[in-house]
Amino acid sequence: MSYLESANSLPLYLIVGVVLLFIAGLCLLFIVKSYRAGLAIGMDRKVLIKAVTSSASFTVLPSISILLGVIALAGSLGVPVAWLRLSVIGNLQYEATVAEMAAENMGTSLDSSLLTLDHLVTILAVMTFGIIWGCLLSIFTMKKYSSKLAIGRRSSAKGGGFASIAMTAMMIGLCSTFVGSYLSQALRTTTFVPFLTALVSALFMALFDALSRRRSLQFLDSFSLALSMLAGMIGSIIFTAGGIR
Amino acid sequence: MNIKEGTFSYEDYTASIHKSGRIGLSIALVMLLAAPFVFSLVTGASIQWDGFAKASIAVCIIYIPSCIVEYLIYVPLLGPGASYLAFITGNITNLKLPCAFNARETAGAEVGSKENEIVSTLSVATSSLVTMLVIFIGVLALIPLTPLLENPVLKPAFDNVIPALFGALGFQYFRKSLKLTAIPLVFMTALCVAVPSMTGSTSFLIIACGALAIGARYVFFRKGWISEVKR
Repeated sequence: MSYLESANSLPLYLIVGVVLLFIAGLCLLFIVKSYRAGLAIGMDRKVLIKAVTSSASFTVLPSISILLGVIALAGSLGVPVAWLRLSVIGNLQYEATVAEMAAENMGTSLDSSLLTLDHLVTILAVMTFGIIWGCLLSIFTMKKYSSKLAIGRRSSAKGGGFASIAMTAMMIGLCSTFVGSYLSQALRTTTFVPFLTALVSALFMALFDALSRRRSLQFLDSFSLALSMLAGMIGSIIFTAGGIR
Repeated sequence: MNIKEGTFSYEDYTASIHKSGRIGLSIALVMLLAAPFVFSLVTGASIQWDGFAKASIAVCIIYIPSCIVEYLIYVPLLGPGASYLAFITGNITNLKLPCAFNARETAGAEVGSKENEIVSTLSVATSSLVTMLVIFIGVLALIPLTPLLENPVLKPAFDNVIPALFGALGFQYFRKSLKLTAIPLVFMTALCVAVPSMTGSTSFLIIACGALAIGARYVFFRKGWISEVKR
């Protein structure tokens, strides 16, 4: 059996399936607990359902991007390892970087013609071990840390105080980081597509925002982010087809 | 927590979230750490401990500090329920955090409130399930789907998911205060123009830009240049 045949063998799929099934069960448990708690503290059922539907629609497109990461990594690590690693902890940037670092430290590279199963299990061990720290901190310190922060002791009706304002500022900082990097690329090089994509996406967001203020189009509110992203992504295809880099 | 009998206590709910989170994450972590060993048993391979040690030291030097900083920042923003799930399912900066913020905005919940904690938990849990489902369907359909997803015509769309996300999200937040936006946006743009390699270090610069925006917000307010940032 060749390296890729072994790396893509059925038992490995089953092992990954069991791990992911457990994590999916944990997510379902948290949905049930928080939904029931939301109703119990007097939150509107519609608000809770909207949180679920808007999050689901929001997630579809970025998930396809993560799926592309699975496809990219599967070429060298096989589907089960790529599937497992991109479904839990980490992110594509981390997984690809760390897989390459692990391969380099064993004197090889992420090339299926050079890798062996020994390399594969070592790379998986490094990828897992390198990213467990957030989970460990959560297990051992979350209860104490969150109680010090007094999370959940206030009601929204009383206003969010500085925390809410700081979070808005934090989000402005987060968005500025990415948009600023695309703008700098457009100014420094001839790479315009990321910035133009962001611009198209923002313009559509403004359009959907204006439309969803109308009573008959209020439903758009839950889908405005996903639809704006889709418009931006279609824009990137058009720009690239038009010869813009 | 006993909702049916009308004796619901939020403290009991929080305690049950911590209990489920700690037990669930512990089991999941053991399963994840055991996976390379089980793979070894199944395939007859063995872990190269020398390569593992060398690579792990390099990886830990880079990622432990960022894991700690992310933990300290994200828990206050998401609340414990969402954080437990976010730390085990990953993709926090590029998916879970914006997703939870979007749900919070839609629900009109304040940071640190019970409502925010509940909406964030619902949002991150749903997002995690959808991601797992999309990847699962993708894995099932990997052979027929690969040519479509790797089609050169569609490739730019998938290469630009993150710009599309932060363009739309940027509109939502930038319009709350254009004066405040100018500070981190100009800083980031100038930094990346001056030091091009910084373009690839966005995960570290998020913390710097976030701190700059919060600091600027405080100074602006003290000087009376802006009265209130729209929430």
